[in-house]
Amino acid sequence: MMMKRILLVMTVLIGLTASPVWSQAGLQPQLDAMAEGSVLTLPAGTLPSLRVTVPEVTIRCHQDTVIDAGGDGHAVVIAAPGATLSGCRIRNWGADLNHLDAGVFVTRAAEGAVVADNDLHGPGFGVWLDATPDVTVRNNRIQGNPNLRSQDRGNGIHLFNTQGALIDGNRIRQTRDAIYIETANHNRIVNNDMSDLRYGIHYMYSHSNHLEGNVTRNTRTGYALMQSKRLTVVNNRSENDRNYGILMNFITQSELRGNRIVGVHQGQSGGVDIQGAEGKAVFIYNSLYNTFSDNVFRDSDIGIHLTAGSEDNQVSGNAFIDNRRQVKYVATREQEWSSEGRGNFWSDYLGWDRNQDGIGDVAYEPNDQVDRLLWTYPEARVLMHSPAVDTLRWVQQAFPVIKAAGVSDHHPLMRPPQSHSLSANLPERTPGQEAP
Amino acid sequence: MKKEQNEQQEAPQGGLSRRRFLGATAAAGVVGATGLGTAVMSREAWADAAMEARNKAVVHPGELDEYYGFWSGGHCGEVRVLGVPSMRELMRIPVFNVDSATGWGITNESKDVLGHDNTYLNGDAHHPHISMTDGRYDGKYLFINDKANTRVARIRLDIMKTDKITTVPNVQAIHGLRLQKVPQTNYVFCNAEFVIPQPNDGSEFALENSYTMFNAIDAETMEVAWQVIVDGNLDNMDADYTGRYAASTCYNSEKAADLAGTMRADRDWVVVFNVDRIEAAVKAGNFKTIGDSRVPVVDGRHGSELTRYVPVPKNPHGLNTSPDGKYFIANGKLSPTATIIAIDRLDDLFDDKFDDPRDVVVGEPELGLGPLHTTFDGRGNAYTTLFIDSQVAKWNIEDAIRHYNGEQVNYIRQKLDVHYQPGHNHASLTESRDADGQWLVVLSKFSKDRFLPAGPLHPENDQLIDISGEEMKLVHDGPTYAEPHDCILVRRDQIKTRKIYDRDDPYFASARAQAEKDGVTLEAENKVIRDGNKVRVYMTSVAPTYGLTEFRVKQGDEVTVYVTNLDTIEDVTHGFCMVNHGVSMEISPQQTSSVTFTAHSPGVHWYYCNWFCHALHMEMGGRMIVEKA
Repeated sequence: MMMKRILLVMTVLIGLTASPVWSQAGLQPQLDAMAEGSVLTLPAGTLPSLRVTVPEVTIRCHQDTVIDAGGDGHAVVIAAPGATLSGCRIRNWGADLNHLDAGVFVTRAAEGAVVADNDLHGPGFGVWLDATPDVTVRNNRIQGNPNLRSQDRGNGIHLFNTQGALIDGNRIRQTRDAIYIETANHNRIVNNDMSDLRYGIHYMYSHSNHLEGNVTRNTRTGYALMQSKRLTVVNNRSENDRNYGILMNFITQSELRGNRIVGVHQGQSGGVDIQGAEGKAVFIYNSLYNTFSDNVFRDSDIGIHLTAGSEDNQVSGNAFIDNRRQVKYVATREQEWSSEGRGNFWSDYLGWDRNQDGIGDVAYEPNDQVDRLLWTYPEARVLMHSPAVDTLRWVQQAFPVIKAAGVSDHHPLMRPPQSHSLSANLPERTPGQEAP
Repeated sequence: MKKEQNEQQEAPQGGLSRRRFLGATAAAGVVGATGLGTAVMSREAWADAAMEARNKAVVHPGELDEYYGFWSGGHCGEVRVLGVPSMRELMRIPVFNVDSATGWGITNESKDVLGHDNTYLNGDAHHPHISMTDGRYDGKYLFINDKANTRVARIRLDIMKTDKITTVPNVQAIHGLRLQKVPQTNYVFCNAEFVIPQPNDGSEFALENSYTMFNAIDAETMEVAWQVIVDGNLDNMDADYTGRYAASTCYNSEKAADLAGTMRADRDWVVVFNVDRIEAAVKAGNFKTIGDSRVPVVDGRHGSELTRYVPVPKNPHGLNTSPDGKYFIANGKLSPTATIIAIDRLDDLFDDKFDDPRDVVVGEPELGLGPLHTTFDGRGNAYTTLFIDSQVAKWNIEDAIRHYNGEQVNYIRQKLDVHYQPGHNHASLTESRDADGQWLVVLSKFSKDRFLPAGPLHPENDQLIDISGEEMKLVHDGPTYAEPHDCILVRRDQIKTRKIYDRDDPYFASARAQAEKDGVTLEAENKVIRDGNKVRVYMTSVAPTYGLTEFRVKQGDEVTVYVTNLDTIEDVTHGFCMVNHGVSMEISPQQTSSVTFTAHSPGVHWYYCNWFCHALHMEMGGRMIVEKA
């Protein structure tokens, strides 16, 4: 078996110097003739579109290999279970979204396929998983075509009706959405780095997924989580996204912990201030029975917007820092945002802590007026913290009508939770950079 | 005072003194009024703004509304008439449902419309639309679909009663419905949503052999004129202002029967129908018929000359024609975009002058999450409901087109939170050339905490928004019972209703015909006609008496009671209710109504007037004497 593999590799390598541009007729028969479980390193040069049809094979690329689909259809189709495609440069696949043109199209038959360490650059979809179970997509670099209109580009990685996928350490730029998930359950989406996109993670009706350690930047929504149950969303980051850092619409029984959402401002502005289009670090809509803990919501137009009966959520240990408006709560019923004597840190909290236990002595109640004041005049905080008891009372009494109804935190934290680094210099980690 | 001076001195250079800080607090309130909107207005500014906005929406006692609004009743199966902007409910028009008060579904006149063999007690009415002449509402008819039982109904707006119901053959679930606008409403166009095998007689079940059809119904005769087979399924639709094109969205181009399958394609499509070519094909005999149906069926699947398919981002929902007649706008639903199709490019599309059917797309603005329906103010702006954002986005169509062409221009004008999950929206006169940009109704699917709770079942929340100015302003929350899908707003002068019935009204033509056969003058005589075991009881009513206070039948007789209301005074409607017989009906001034039932129990059975009519209303009644068989 081993001998056979070596022979195959040698054959191909011999061919390499003779013909740098390969025809389909030359390579495809070799791929089809591979023994199950064997390994093939594709030769240097420009290769046409390929189809992987033999189970358990591993297809690798020479460092000078380019798979070029000639602007039409898929570049690589993986149609065999357990097949691996790794270390390949893939270019110039089709732009026809009607036909789901993809750099790597993984068919329903390719259960357990692995797509790793590839470098993809093209207009349609990067990787399309077509209802394939247990696929791994790891450490790929996926680059879209910014010359196309956003809506005419494909998504970076598209999970259609998949189960058990691992999407790990990919770096995705300038596609339409980076990772699109629909009717796809029990997947792990970890350590991906996504920027310059429409949406980072675009989600619809997908249950029991785990999102951890992902980063979105400069998107028109970092994490759009919709109509799904049992998600764990842990230690993700959103930086300078627009519209929403995390959008949660009809999300239940889910955990959001340790996420860090910074600098969400309104999108589509063209320099104009559009009423009602404020950026929201987190938007929680018709979402119940979730826990929010140890998250940071910072420097955004709105820190948290809760509405449509989003009740029975546990919100504690989070830090709301310097948002133009900390809380927008649209409801007629009251909510307490602390748990077991521990609430959240609010940068505009005006109370005091006489017994020095780290918990404010008076309840925090979001007050739009004070939010705006502190956002406009940051230096006012000095006065607020001075013998400011009467100031606080005065402000609260002077503007009772504009107090955001309903939310209060009876145990506000005097300092941000220790687990957060609040320095401006965030450690940069860009997974996927090791990929070729 | 002294303390304050000290603090002022202690304030850091360039910083804020306590006094200046307090001043800034007050200033922030004023700034807020223009900056962050209502949320940070001062109390006074808020109150003033709210008062001003509300004043426009308030219709004081004794005043009349400027607009009629017609609301679909969803799975109540009815249509409701509201006054706008007061949002007062003026009337309910039973259509596909059974109505105990008017006797709809009980009387013979309603059975003439519903069908005497009709067994459906339910309906699902979504899309009410008013007939037009040259793109303007003519106030003659309102048409509405029944998704539940595949029917289309017509309501006469002069009496606000349903006068025709057509069951569309060969298809299932009529959903999207719109009218030909120009030269007038000759056709009612409607989409059958679900694909079925043909003929659907149990000989075939496979999805790959299933399809659905686009249907045209003659608006006068209410007979189905033709059907067009399409690929995929059909959702919403609209027609243009030339009378030559109609377009429908398809969200299931995959023809999948499972949820995931309907979402696989990255693009579904808008299918455009060429009315002239379809008519010509039917005229030339290029059609087939299916099963017992005699309706001409033409083939509009890919490759047909009768249709064109324009790919649009996945699972589109609403489709709306701009009132200037220039654009069809398809709303993206699972895509945050709306697709603008230039109607003046459709001739070239049908003449195959484009390599790519998407060349008819002239704009595709990104509006927000879950765009469902778009409506218009007649000033170049569009208003799109965003289901996931729970907002309405106001955007400018021409700016969106410039943006599509590469200009850096902002096309979003404003986003307004609505409560909650908006479906359809509808601006005043928006489907006609007269779109006047005064009011916008947003039909929100959830009300959640907006009203006093009334048990686990919640009302919808139809919100009224003033769009007459630059800024959208929410002025009214309107709870509605299940479940309006859409509404239509027309100026009150565009509807002319009758005060009382004309004696020749076709609505009770069958009663008049029967009376003629029986030699009875409905307006004058009170008579009992026996015809075997059938007994016809003719009586008049004048408040507060019936023409007959007693009539006699035999047990087991099939009894038909005809009541003719001789009152000529507006609003003096009578009722006729036979106790313990499940019989109840309305007889409005100068109307004849009739109802048929079996006299199953011997003895005395009182009948009484159940629509309040007179000071002696309680005394208005009579006895049916049933002799033992």
